[in-house]
Amino acid sequence: MDGVRKLAATAGLVLAMVWAAAPTSAQPKKLIFWTHWEQNPEFNKYYETRGRDFAQKSGYEVQVVTIPYQGYEAKYLAALIGKSGAPDIFMGMTHHWCGQYDFCDRMPADLARTWDDHLPKYMVNVGKWKGVRYGTPIEHGNFQQMYLDVELFRKAGLDADKPPRTLDDWLAAMKKLTVLDAKGEPTQVGFALRHKGHPVGITDKFLPFAHAFGARMLSPTLETATGFANSPEMVAALGFYADLVHKHKVASLAFPTPEDAFGQKRAATIFRESWYFGWLKKNAPDVAFKVVALPCGKACPGAGALFPWTNMVYKSSANKAAAWDFIRFLSNPKDDLDQHQAQGILPVWTVNLDSPYVKARPDYASTQEMLRQPVPPEYYHPKSNELATAFGEAVVAALYGRGQPRPLLDEAAAKMDRILKD
Amino acid sequence: MRGVLRLFAPRSYMDRQRRAGLLFVLPALVYFGLVFLVPLVESVVGSFHRIVPGGESRFVGLRLYQRVFTDSTFWQAVANTVSLLLMSVPVTVALALAVALGLHRLRSVMARSAWAAMYFLPFSVSLVAAALIWQWMYDPLYGFLNHLLGLAGLPPLPWLQSLELVRPSLAIVNVWVRLGFDTVIFLAALQAIPADYYEAASIDGASARQALLRVTLPLLNPQIVMVTILELIFNFKVFDTVYATTQGGPAGASQTVIMLLYDTAFKFFRLGDASVMAVFVFASLLLVTLVQWRLFRREVEY
Repeated sequence: MDGVRKLAATAGLVLAMVWAAAPTSAQPKKLIFWTHWEQNPEFNKYYETRGRDFAQKSGYEVQVVTIPYQGYEAKYLAALIGKSGAPDIFMGMTHHWCGQYDFCDRMPADLARTWDDHLPKYMVNVGKWKGVRYGTPIEHGNFQQMYLDVELFRKAGLDADKPPRTLDDWLAAMKKLTVLDAKGEPTQVGFALRHKGHPVGITDKFLPFAHAFGARMLSPTLETATGFANSPEMVAALGFYADLVHKHKVASLAFPTPEDAFGQKRAATIFRESWYFGWLKKNAPDVAFKVVALPCGKACPGAGALFPWTNMVYKSSANKAAAWDFIRFLSNPKDDLDQHQAQGILPVWTVNLDSPYVKARPDYASTQEMLRQPVPPEYYHPKSNELATAFGEAVVAALYGRGQPRPLLDEAAAKMDRILKD
Repeated sequence: MRGVLRLFAPRSYMDRQRRAGLLFVLPALVYFGLVFLVPLVESVVGSFHRIVPGGESRFVGLRLYQRVFTDSTFWQAVANTVSLLLMSVPVTVALALAVALGLHRLRSVMARSAWAAMYFLPFSVSLVAAALIWQWMYDPLYGFLNHLLGLAGLPPLPWLQSLELVRPSLAIVNVWVRLGFDTVIFLAALQAIPADYYEAASIDGASARQALLRVTLPLLNPQIVMVTILELIFNFKVFDTVYATTQGGPAGASQTVIMLLYDTAFKFFRLGDASVMAVFVFASLLLVTLVQWRLFRREVEY
């Protein structure tokens, strides 16, 4: 029995030590904020900076935890299911975390109205699930625009100030911008396309072409894929896309990521979002570039996002009232502008879209032009990752010559329908 | 019941011995139970349920099995995994054996240890770090391998970009990572074989080749079987190196079962389907291991 007493005494001592080490009520309370925007540290830091001001009136400080993007879903899911260790506020896509799951707190009505009133029209549905606002959109310009290398355009006898406006003109320009070696393989391509990585990203990069051909991945109600993902327009779009590699050879699968190829001056154009010019200035400062609107086909690709990032409040958070107060605290034009400017990305509020900061950016004109175009189809479905993967597998298979667009898209559409019906 | 009670209130010396034994293995049992057994049971249970994280689960019988086993993507991932495994395992085991035999012949203990440590070094590197190193080696433009090919007047190869080359390229990474571990096991086993056997073989007129085939390899049988099983398990479960280098591409040519399982669970949030895949991996490995153990394992005494 002595052993048992000793064991009990040791356990008691350990418990006492744990109790003593536990935070006391005198310590400031904290709102835990999770984000996976590791490429935007200044933007994330802003939450902590303003969190200190917020703490003066609320007693709550803000601690930002940056979760690495690779595999963030697993970490989020584990924490949100487990509740303990979960964040109070988290960044993600509303249709996943509030649609597929029920992890989100509904935004207070007055705050939701404020956001609805101050967003560009293509972003009004960002942060909503079934018409109810849960999240605050944090990224404008998250749609692809065309970056072109001014020097390579000049060498090819093209004027970068008069970029191609239609897909036909664009293809003709790409042919002039491509340089082939003795074996007929490109050493410089007109266009660097995404062919590596997860199929979701490949879908994202292909969609502007699909939309320019007048196609859409899903029905407007997001209930069916057959007839849309494999429509004649989509087949034509994928045929056009694969021909860039196989027939016209203005794009190459031997090239690295499009961003690197453009930075290395081995690709004359790339389709990328607004954040890319910050990356270029940092990593390839010697590249002289312009940002222009994407070329149009039957339709113009328009401003739309496959990844509508927002900030949401965890519904099981013990601090959700304070979390909404903090979001309300930041919901004004000044904070919107300051936070995005600190990182060099586009602000979200409409009132800031004509601010001197935005007007001085190289993507101002192209962004404005694309905002004037009709809003492209949205795919804010809870299973968007799985759907985009099934679709992206067809796109990448066509790029690698594993089949013809029609049968590949038929198979993808059937698979997507199974996913939708499940 | 009486036995359990006597563990807590020992009456005799043997009771105390039993209790001590139990206490010694208890941490390992608890660890095994919590880290391996509970997730395994949960996976099996989960494979029969439609699970909505944060919501309710529903029993669906064999429906998820039917869905996973009729999905062409799943079988493509299985085929990729098996192909990668067939390229990696025999090469790793054969090379490790050859290296161990070479090291065993070195007379200097210091030289042998130094060489063994060098071979073992890649095994101590994190798999993601190893993948990143090889990603650079394989880079089509700046990669070391294409640079060497260029020096030899050969055209560059799309190591990780080609449908045909991507799996062999990844197999090379796996071999590089695992070679040292297997070598050290074989080396230890070789050193444990008594020299008398070789003396006897030599007196009987056996050549070096005959000694290798009739003495060394039969006596290494337990290690060869064990290393092969370990390699099968490692290669079947390979994830980090593939995820960090190709993310399953190009065009799904390197997507392994574990990568698909990860995507299914954490990108598509289909935990039930992912559990089916986990059960499949477990059952396949168990079956292959048992068959291998039964067919190739020989009792060795020396």
